[in-house]
Amino acid sequence: MQPFALNYARPAAQLELTAPYSYDSGLQLNVLADGRVAAHDLALLRELGTTTSTAGSKTHFDD
Amino acid sequence: MTVLVLTCEEDVTADMVVVHLHASGVPVVRIDPADLTGGVALSGEYVHGAFRGHLSAGGRLVSMSGLRSIWVRRPGTPATRAPQPSEWLTEEASQALYGMLRGSGARWMNHPDAARRARHKPWQLRLAQRSGLPVPATLITTFPQAAREFSRRFPDLVVKPVSGAHPQDPPRAVPTSRVAPDTDFAAVAFGPTLLQRRIAKQADIRLTVVGDRMLAARMATAPDPDPAEVDVRFAVPLQPWHPTEVPPRIAAAVRTYMCDAELAYGAFDFAEDRDGTWWFLECNQSGQFGFVEADTGQPIAQTIAEWLSLPASPEQEGCVNGSDSKVT
Repeated sequence: MQPFALNYARPAAQLELTAPYSYDSGLQLNVLADGRVAAHDLALLRELGTTTSTAGSKTHFDD
Repeated sequence: MTVLVLTCEEDVTADMVVVHLHASGVPVVRIDPADLTGGVALSGEYVHGAFRGHLSAGGRLVSMSGLRSIWVRRPGTPATRAPQPSEWLTEEASQALYGMLRGSGARWMNHPDAARRARHKPWQLRLAQRSGLPVPATLITTFPQAAREFSRRFPDLVVKPVSGAHPQDPPRAVPTSRVAPDTDFAAVAFGPTLLQRRIAKQADIRLTVVGDRMLAARMATAPDPDPAEVDVRFAVPLQPWHPTEVPPRIAAAVRTYMCDAELAYGAFDFAEDRDGTWWFLECNQSGQFGFVEADTGQPIAQTIAEWLSLPASPEQEGCVNGSDSKVT
């Protein structure tokens, strides 16, 4: 039998979106295709869910 | 003096802080320990009673003695992207990197020892009690009979993972979930189970603590909420987070918690009941903050940057956070 808590498990949501930014080692920041710093676009980050409280759950305990 | 940021490249939440560090002219070196022996190199020598160490990444070279602070955000497992990774190499790289950094004299957000201890939810619950925070009645057990008796005493329960981790094989999420009154608790014998009295909440609270500063955000519960949805992380947000005041008694208790936990950063989750009481749920020592800042406009990233920018080796007076706390 499986542990009790796993009776309440659900399939993990798979993020299909590819982040529209990439890491620039010179700036030490992620930048958008047009060169803007991704962190300046909070609306975009909110839309992508990259800063939300479940974003780190796959590899980190802390949300 | 340099701020060392340990995180993965795709961590845009870290970017929010690095932007502020750049703007204030504070030198930053950002590395992912996963890149050790690849894009990241280190060296340290202990000669004639002295230690001299260096880190190199992305064409930048920083002395261990030149570090003012170390921010442990979302670092990868050391050396996992090395040309020939192995568990042995990971342990070697981890000991070399973190062992040298521990001797650097830099301030930590958060120190690895404090961070490791702070991840234990049972420890969090006890520390919260001792700090004076209201904690919902909780049972962690492998005894089915204990679970049955607890459910008779507290008929309205939720279950959540003890560790906060989610199973990966296959990938599944285990949200905090309501337990039906007639539930069979036999499977409690197959894994430690955390049962907690459900708080009939009128709002969720996220309190982000950075050093001595507290930034609280509140999201009101829907007027007619789905009783099965208790985990705000998995619910569809119907409204944004708003800044809120921290009740003085809660602020004092949180200050005690942070001091005793030796944490410089903590993200507290509370459930606010209909009487306005904030019930402690957990404290994530590396909790996300970007979503709160995006909604509330609270200067969390800037506050973190300011903390990281302080000089190395401050007078700590027995507490990493100082004693003159500001509540906002």
